[in-house]
Parts: sequence; C-alpha cells; structure tokens
Amino acid sequence: MEAVDNLRPEIARLIAAKQERRHKLAALPFPEKVRIVVQLQRMVAPVLRARGRPVRVWHLTGD
Amino acid sequence: MEKTLQVLTELEHDGLLLRYAIGGAMGATFYVEPVLTFDLDVFVILPQAAGLLLTLAPIYDALRARGYTEEGECVNIEGVPVQFLPAHNALLEEALAEARETSYGATATRVLRAEHLAAIAVQTGRDKDRERVRLLLEQAPLDGEYLRAVLARHNLEARWKQWTT
Repeated sequence: MEAVDNLRPEIARLIAAKQERRHKLAALPFPEKVRIVVQLQRMVAPVLRARGRPVRVWHLTGD
Repeated sequence: MEKTLQVLTELEHDGLLLRYAIGGAMGATFYVEPVLTFDLDVFVILPQAAGLLLTLAPIYDALRARGYTEEGECVNIEGVPVQFLPAHNALLEEALAEARETSYGATATRVLRAEHLAAIAVQTGRDKDRERVRLLLEQAPLDGEYLRAVLARHNLEARWKQWTT
C-alpha cells in the first residue's frame, strides 16, 4: 500500500502534464492542427487497411 | 486544405450552393485538440431546384467537370475527401446561418460554432458523438447561455442532461 501511495503524486503530475499538453494542442492554429490530423492519418492508415477498411491519407496541396 | 476551401468558395460564388461551413470532426478540431478523421464534412444549404427537390447532383457535376473524382460518398478535392451534407433540419439550417467566419491561410471560410457542433452531436446520438461532446465541453470555449438556448430550441435538453450528468 505504501508503494501505491508513493506513486500517487507522480501519477497526478503525469495526468496533469498530459491534460496541459491537450489544451496546448487545442490552442494551436487551425492549419497546424490539420497537419497533425494528417500525421495521425499516416500513423493509423496501415492498421485500418490491415483490418480491411480502405482509407486514404490526405494529400494536402498548397498548405 | 486551403485549395480545397478555395474550391468550396468558388462553388458558393457560382451559386451551386448557397452557403457552406465545415462541421464534423474537422469542425471540432477547430476548437479542440486534433481529432482523427479521414474526410472533411461540409454542411451546405442548397439552392431550391425545380420541383422542390434538393439534390447534390449539380455540385457533383461541377466538380467532375473540374477533374475531381468521387470516392464513395465523398469527392476528392485537392487531395481531401469532402463529404457534402445538405442541411436537412432546422438545427443544421441554424448552424449554417450562424457559422463562424474565419480564414485558413489567405482563404476565407466558415466553421460551425462549437455550440452547434455539440448540439448536432447530441442530435446524431452515436457513441463517437458522445465523445465529441465530452471533448468540446472539456476544451472548447462554449458559451453556456447560447448553448442552452440552442438545445432548448431543438428539444435536445433531455439527452444533453443524460450525456453530461
């Protein structure tokens, strides 16, 4: 039980840092967020295709 | 995506659609952290054709003439699959009328207000819509009074209460 108690402040700090990062992401300019979405698409597309879902990663032109 | 938005603006100027605004996951992304999506949901008000029939066919024809191809329920416009969603009820019509004017690079565009995105999610009612409401509540600058009025006008208060308490 003592080990768990020692972990709690560290876990709370990690959760708070994660939350802060999400709010920073939310505050980014829209075009920057769109670029991140395309990065997410690149990461996820192979997994979805392997599961039989045909997806296309956006090919942004002029951004 | 800027070129995609330029094409949408041209469609509006040409009268093929009366008004458009970005909604769906990309609309939410305007206000919150980036949300994974593979298509750009664009809500549109269509001109009333003869016989009171609302159809996306003229938009598809115009895009085909410009060399853009259909992919399932989307049209690939400058590398972005765009799904056109006609405003088919009072909430969507209101959301389009009150959409937020913004710009993407040098291109003027519109995004649905965060309060309308939340109300539309409640109305649509899927699991992923519930997650969108959670995200908007956590991160978007929602105007509580405005949101309450939208929910009341469109009889969405009960589900909102169920989802958020």
